[in-house]
Amino acid sequence: MKFLLRRVGFYLVAAWASLTLAFFVPRLMPGDPAHALYARFHGKLGPEAIESLSKALGLSHDPLWKQYFGYLGHVLRGDLGVSVSYFPAPVIDVIGVALGWTVLLTGFAVILSFIVGTLLGVYASWKRNGALDRIAPPLLTFLSAFPYFWLAMVALFVGGLTLHLFPLRHAYADYIAPSFSGEFLWSVAGHAFLPAATVVIATLGGWMLGMRSTMVAVMGEDYITLAHAKGLTPNRVMFRYAARNALLPNVTSFGMALGFVLSGSLLTEIIFSYPGQGYLLFQAVRSLDYPLLQGLFLTITFAVLGANFLVDVVYVWLDPRAR
Amino acid sequence: MRLSRGDLLFVSVVSALAGLAFAIVASSCAPRRQAAEEGVLQVSETEQTESFIRNFNPLLEVGDVRWAAKNSMYEPMLIHNPIKGVYVPWLAESYRWEDTKLIFALRHEVLWSDGQPFRARDVVFTFELLKKFDALDTRGVWRFLAGVRAVDDFTVEVSFRRSYVPGLFFIGQQPIVPEHIWKDVADPVSFTNENPVATGPFTEVAWFRTQAYQVNRNPHYWQKGKPAVQSLRFIALPGNDQSVLAMINGELDWAGDFVPAIDRVYVAKDPEHYHYWFPLIDGMVMLYTNTSEPPYDDERVRKAISMAIDRELVVEVAMHGYSKPADGTGLNEGYEKYRSPEAVARGASWVKYDLGAASALLDTVGLKKGADGWRRKPDGSVWEVNVNCPAGWTDWVRAAQAIARGLQKAGIHATLRAYDYNTWFDKVQNGDFDLTVGWTEPGPTPYGLYRNLMSTETKKPKGQASAENWHRYGSLEADVLLARLEQTLDPAEEMRLTYELEMLFATHAPAIPLFPGPLWGQYDSNRFEGFPDKDNPYAPLSPHNSPQPLLVLPELRPR
Repeated sequence: MKFLLRRVGFYLVAAWASLTLAFFVPRLMPGDPAHALYARFHGKLGPEAIESLSKALGLSHDPLWKQYFGYLGHVLRGDLGVSVSYFPAPVIDVIGVALGWTVLLTGFAVILSFIVGTLLGVYASWKRNGALDRIAPPLLTFLSAFPYFWLAMVALFVGGLTLHLFPLRHAYADYIAPSFSGEFLWSVAGHAFLPAATVVIATLGGWMLGMRSTMVAVMGEDYITLAHAKGLTPNRVMFRYAARNALLPNVTSFGMALGFVLSGSLLTEIIFSYPGQGYLLFQAVRSLDYPLLQGLFLTITFAVLGANFLVDVVYVWLDPRAR
Repeated sequence: MRLSRGDLLFVSVVSALAGLAFAIVASSCAPRRQAAEEGVLQVSETEQTESFIRNFNPLLEVGDVRWAAKNSMYEPMLIHNPIKGVYVPWLAESYRWEDTKLIFALRHEVLWSDGQPFRARDVVFTFELLKKFDALDTRGVWRFLAGVRAVDDFTVEVSFRRSYVPGLFFIGQQPIVPEHIWKDVADPVSFTNENPVATGPFTEVAWFRTQAYQVNRNPHYWQKGKPAVQSLRFIALPGNDQSVLAMINGELDWAGDFVPAIDRVYVAKDPEHYHYWFPLIDGMVMLYTNTSEPPYDDERVRKAISMAIDRELVVEVAMHGYSKPADGTGLNEGYEKYRSPEAVARGASWVKYDLGAASALLDTVGLKKGADGWRRKPDGSVWEVNVNCPAGWTDWVRAAQAIARGLQKAGIHATLRAYDYNTWFDKVQNGDFDLTVGWTEPGPTPYGLYRNLMSTETKKPKGQASAENWHRYGSLEADVLLARLEQTLDPAEEMRLTYELEMLFATHAPAIPLFPGPLWGQYDSNRFEGFPDKDNPYAPLSPHNSPQPLLVLPELRPR
């Protein structure tokens, strides 16, 4: 318990630090939102527009420290301000739409990849030099050597454009209104399949290899031999004795991966026109959308911290020494 | 390899499951190639995004306003048609100047989409709104306006503080909003106007989702019997690649995006129905030199740099041959009637690719080659020239590459510098560059172009950021001509003054014209017809230049 309390204190400090960074880092970039917006028009707006744009966006000319404390106050009240690139929509609304889709797509893909990859690792090491152990590691390493966006482009080209098996874009078909109908859910599944598959394929190898190597080390331990000698079933030895101990490093990486889910798989989302957080982040940086950037950093860091906290809890459960 | 029964079983079960999942999902979710129903025109949104925000406020330039607001819903009094070089009377039947007053006679038959009549008070209200909320006055019309009043229900009188003829463009093209709705809007700047009431051909939002939306036609549209199209549909596309994919797939009937090697990439997929038209009427792409710094303050240096640029090559590598080399006037093809043959002849010497002449000219100004082959400044140090461009704008980056290579051949130590877009723009505005690729603003007449290129009024002193005249060039002669151009209503006088400005530009080369920008436009005639193209050039094809799409929408018909 003391361990967990100490962690909570650490997380509070980390949260404050990330809030502060989220405020200052975007403002270190050259230019300001009004100029970025003006430049986006590529000459179709006159220079007098810059002034009216700054006014419309309500850009503050207060000293930075004053803005900073104002920002902290607003964040504590849950007010993230108004987005610049989606003006006049509040940041909360903009992120709200994207968050759900990203959690669904990337979250699902990461969890699936973790479970399948870890299981593959367990089985591969259990039957050393078996078929799985020979085929899977080189194959998966080969696949994960491709950049995931490249896999995404190939998948889109072959599955979407050439074979017409899968939709080219979006999270669900444009002609269906969102609801909890079977048709809509099918559509969501079909649209998520290719992007999720590319993420899974590209990351499966890492989970499997990580699990396999720790499993191999653990299985050399005396207590595994003892467990076998006691006459326990192979399944019980494999999961309760070997895998449980070998899981720790993978759980740590899983926490990290889970935390970064919210930053989305930027390029995958862009290639499949998936309405998630990754594209928002890209858009926010491009248009120097300070409020949106702050909001995104905030959700991402809180997700990372939250995931790490979960990992800490899981650790306590997996490894009694941590209690 | 030894395969145990267990292994085999495991591998086969996993692969069978994966195959099954793939087959089920694939068969049930196969996309319908033509998602849109009959009569639904699929148009590409100007804003490239992955999710739409429901915002139909036509007075906003900032943020994320839906295409339909300014291109199918709210209409202006006049629409400038750059293909024909004329103002098309729209909500106004006609306009005339009376000294420093501009009188608009409005159409009688126009109704708002809720059935209320459109009247002069709506126009007055709109301009009063811009005055009260200067964040909406993106064009700064109240800098030169004195007042706007309704003479009667169908006559609007706009009075200017001083004679300023170019103001017509901004007054005429201002989208007009209904007083009876907008008078109750507390803050029109943050108003998202989710259910618009407007005069345009398509005003009724049928449905709106984050990925797509559809707008149905206005039952009260003032052009009787039009539009023939039922509805417009828009899908969210985050970038050019996704747009091109949608175009090829028959999911965009009307688009306006840059497509590389378009004949092969797009037209070849359905040569009978896939068409494009890229008239060279967008802004002239320029190479700006920092004329506030030596040696670029010397026009001979600017001309020598210009002569070292192989524009044929630039157009080929950067623009896929969609454009053509600029002449010495800096005018695009939308200004054809203004082009002065004398000015073209005057500029011909320095826009022609001629390395020998460029080297000779640089030698005479004292930028002579050193032993290593690089030219030196008078103080003996190597003359380092950075050619700036925004990274990621691939066409400009390739243009800048070709330019840098040309300069190197003339012995200039030129380096390409591709900066992040915001950094690049910051440098441009602060005069922190040697050479940079940049745009010019297209307008109804060359007045705006030359004001930005040569007037002392737009030239900011060194060290002060400037949103225009980035090359910081000012000419008192140009000031005089521009001031007279602001006042003249006589077409012959306007032509004469413009000719003189062109001559001034061609003589002093304040900036180095590269090529006129094409206005991208594509259409798919499988389901609709009536689009403008080079055989029927009644308006620009691009859907991305509001309010010009209003000229096209009523002319489209289902096939």
